[in-house]
Amino acid sequence: MLVACVALPLVGAALTWWLRRGEVGVGAAALALIAAAVLPLGRGDGWWHEVDLAWAPAIRLDFALSVDGVSWPLVVLTALLGLLCCVHNARSGGSPTLTALLLAVQGASTAVFLADNLVLFFIAFEAVLLPMWAVVHRYGIDETRRHAAAKFALFTIAGSLLMATGLFVAAADAGTADLGAIIAGGGVSEGVSLLVFALLALGFAVKAPLWPLHSWLPDAHTAAPTVGSVLLAGVLLKLGTYGLIRVAGGIAPDGAADAAPVLAVLAAAGIVVASLVCLGQGELKRLIAYSSVGHMGFVVLAFATGTEAGVRAALFANLAHGLITPLLFFLAGAVKERTRTGRLAELGGLRVAAPALAGLLGFASLASLGLPGLAGFWGEAFTVYAAAERGGAWFALAAVAAVGAFLTAAYLLRMLKHVSHGAPTAAVAGIGGLSVGEAAVWAPLVAATLALGLAPGPVLDLFATGVL
Amino acid sequence: MHAQTIDHVALLPLYLAAAAAVAALFAGRFAGAVAMIGLAASAAAAVWVGFGPTRETFAVGQWHSFVADDAAMGAAALFASLTVLVAAVSGRKTPEYCFLLAVSAAGGIALAGSRDLVTLIVALETLTVPLYVLVARPGREGAEAGVTFLIASVTASATALMGAALLYAASGTVHFAGLAEGLGGAPAGLVAAGVALVLGGLAFKLAAVPLHAWAPPVLERAPLPVAAYLASASKLGGAVAVIWVVHFALAQEAGLAAGIVLSVLAVGSIAVGNVAALVQRRTVALLAWSGIAHAGYVLAPLAALATAAGRSDAEAASAAAFAYAVFFVLLEAGAFASLTAVRGEDGDGGAVADLGGLWRSAPGRAAVLLVAVVGLAGLPPALAGTFAKVAVLEWLAGSAVWLAVVVAAGAVVGLGYYLPLARTVLLGRGPAAAKGRFPVAVLAIGAVLVAISLAPQAVLEFTALSR
Repeated sequence: MLVACVALPLVGAALTWWLRRGEVGVGAAALALIAAAVLPLGRGDGWWHEVDLAWAPAIRLDFALSVDGVSWPLVVLTALLGLLCCVHNARSGGSPTLTALLLAVQGASTAVFLADNLVLFFIAFEAVLLPMWAVVHRYGIDETRRHAAAKFALFTIAGSLLMATGLFVAAADAGTADLGAIIAGGGVSEGVSLLVFALLALGFAVKAPLWPLHSWLPDAHTAAPTVGSVLLAGVLLKLGTYGLIRVAGGIAPDGAADAAPVLAVLAAAGIVVASLVCLGQGELKRLIAYSSVGHMGFVVLAFATGTEAGVRAALFANLAHGLITPLLFFLAGAVKERTRTGRLAELGGLRVAAPALAGLLGFASLASLGLPGLAGFWGEAFTVYAAAERGGAWFALAAVAAVGAFLTAAYLLRMLKHVSHGAPTAAVAGIGGLSVGEAAVWAPLVAATLALGLAPGPVLDLFATGVL
Repeated sequence: MHAQTIDHVALLPLYLAAAAAVAALFAGRFAGAVAMIGLAASAAAAVWVGFGPTRETFAVGQWHSFVADDAAMGAAALFASLTVLVAAVSGRKTPEYCFLLAVSAAGGIALAGSRDLVTLIVALETLTVPLYVLVARPGREGAEAGVTFLIASVTASATALMGAALLYAASGTVHFAGLAEGLGGAPAGLVAAGVALVLGGLAFKLAAVPLHAWAPPVLERAPLPVAAYLASASKLGGAVAVIWVVHFALAQEAGLAAGIVLSVLAVGSIAVGNVAALVQRRTVALLAWSGIAHAGYVLAPLAALATAAGRSDAEAASAAAFAYAVFFVLLEAGAFASLTAVRGEDGDGGAVADLGGLWRSAPGRAAVLLVAVVGLAGLPPALAGTFAKVAVLEWLAGSAVWLAVVVAAGAVVGLGYYLPLARTVLLGRGPAAAKGRFPVAVLAIGAVLVAISLAPQAVLEFTALSR
């Protein structure tokens, strides 16, 4: 099943591209989701299932996959978003090649989440780059797509090579590249711990992205097609935070403790800066992209506290962001497709023209700003709580984060005011309402947002069983 | 006095390559076929000898001048196979052309087995001298390429010989095993000068900075199949020469001096090669400059010897460098072979923009070119390049993190020119009047690239050097 989770999307990608039929991709994505969904069957504590095949022992590369309570939710999220993207693309008559590229991104990302070998982790991490670059470059909707794609590629590869250096330092120090074994052994030795963590954190901070390394993200999001944005926000950013929490925190706990204040300050600064930028932002997709930077700031801040509550808050906020932001991007894509503009100044009155669409946009915005009862709330609330709990200077950071959460509410409501309320503008008037197909694609995300918001317990318990 | 016993089995690949050269010279219109069959037999023999026990011959005391171990035979098989590939994409050529190519391959095979400085330099010259003729196309430009190559090569050989002489003066021997023991007590200045001259001279073949300037104009003006040979087999020759000298002779007693010289060469090559490649508009020039950067990546693991914490695992440095060199020349061979196939063996590389639309007009050749280019950039799904990068970074991360960062920075810049090249091939618009030649040769190198992507252990096994 573990192998199927990775192999099905990749085989599906090859077949879709070969046969030029989007339906094949949808089928492969659906099978991959089923494979991911049944993973908890027969699980024990710690690692649920493991696969370990020697590949190239000379460079310490094993085809080792494993799954636990931390990685499984992300695998399911990836499979779900992959399926939704494939369905969306097939429905809207997109090119089969785009479906193939999306599946390739999905397969490689799943391999990252499941990798139990540092070298395999790096290779899977790199494998995400080219298909995503092609998605932005080839299928971008903006005239800036080439520039955005190049920026994405250069930032990502710089980050991933620094990360690779860190991984190999760790592997050389520990004498093994088995992630589980290094974590179980308490991480790398103290002498190199800070170096390893710094290299890894730099690499993952580019991907996450953490302020001030975020500048590729808004460009890429603005230029990418809707499905590209969805995968970018829902899956690619998760690679960074997952790597930071599981890999960097796991193999260099001492370094993580030393570097925590720096990370925390950057994260808090990122929350506020992103919120302020959003307040002045005039473009819908760019606004959502910057809001991602803020949300990722919460995740990193929670992780930096180093407490158990903090790490769980980080994982939860991570997952919630992976549900809500893709929904926002789907909605923004739908609005842009109908009105042919993403400028807030030209939008307005969506509530009158397409009430269901406006309602969903309102729902997603409220979830994103952390309304209690929806998924976004718990992660951010626990983050502030975990930071405040540590006292001292951390209290100040908690206060900054809380102000950031307030600003988040402010800019999302401002966005709603511009888009939904007021009299319909020329661009909005006469647009089509919500179609059944769209509703079907978005329904799982809405349902999951509600479920996580109303009952966060099971998922938090799941995180507690994870190997960290 | 008794005659020295010679292990002829160890020399079998060399005999076969030499026989192929002579046979090709007299084979008339079948010269190409004869050379290819002979060299293929030589490669097969090398593989066969490699799987057997390690053989040594030409003994002087306990030292041997020719050793047929796994690494040597692996490299020999690679020299022969790459030459077969080049011969296959050369089209119909004169017997003299095939003779020179096979002689050069024989030089490579001798180089792979050599274990003393004199054998090594003579073998390297045997590899190089036939190329003086091959690079020169008729006409003024071809003559310029030939003369440039000749002068640069002779200068480099003289430099390497001078260095060898200094090392001989310092230790009293030219055998690697003897140098490994004898350099310790010698005057440090003499040793350092010798090391710098030998490595600097040998690095010429690898086209490492500062002896790199010949490569782009020569590759650009040489016929495409010969450029393919220069970029693959000849580069492998340079890499093998440097790695052998460092690994067998210098690592123990002169590791520091060698490491410092090599760091300068490596960092210089990575910086100059990458930056210059960024501004190239012609395909061959781009590949040539990026090849200079790759030479830097090959040398980087060896450069870490200067700062390596423990000299005990110096073998890993050579293994990483050798593995990178093998992956790299195979990718380079793939790129040049497919380029030759689409531009024709008598054409030139043309501008990058000329490759626009290639994916539509010749998908098979474009696919091999793409795999090679993406592999040179080190990205999956062309895993061969990724493994090469992993091998280098893994050793550097454990010994010299700053060099790992330099390599990483180089790879980032590299993406800046490989991605546009890949994009042009895949998506660019244009007529791309593809010639569509040599299906078998392109298919073969494509299959090899896929195979080493799936089973890198096949390469990593024989590149794991032992002393």
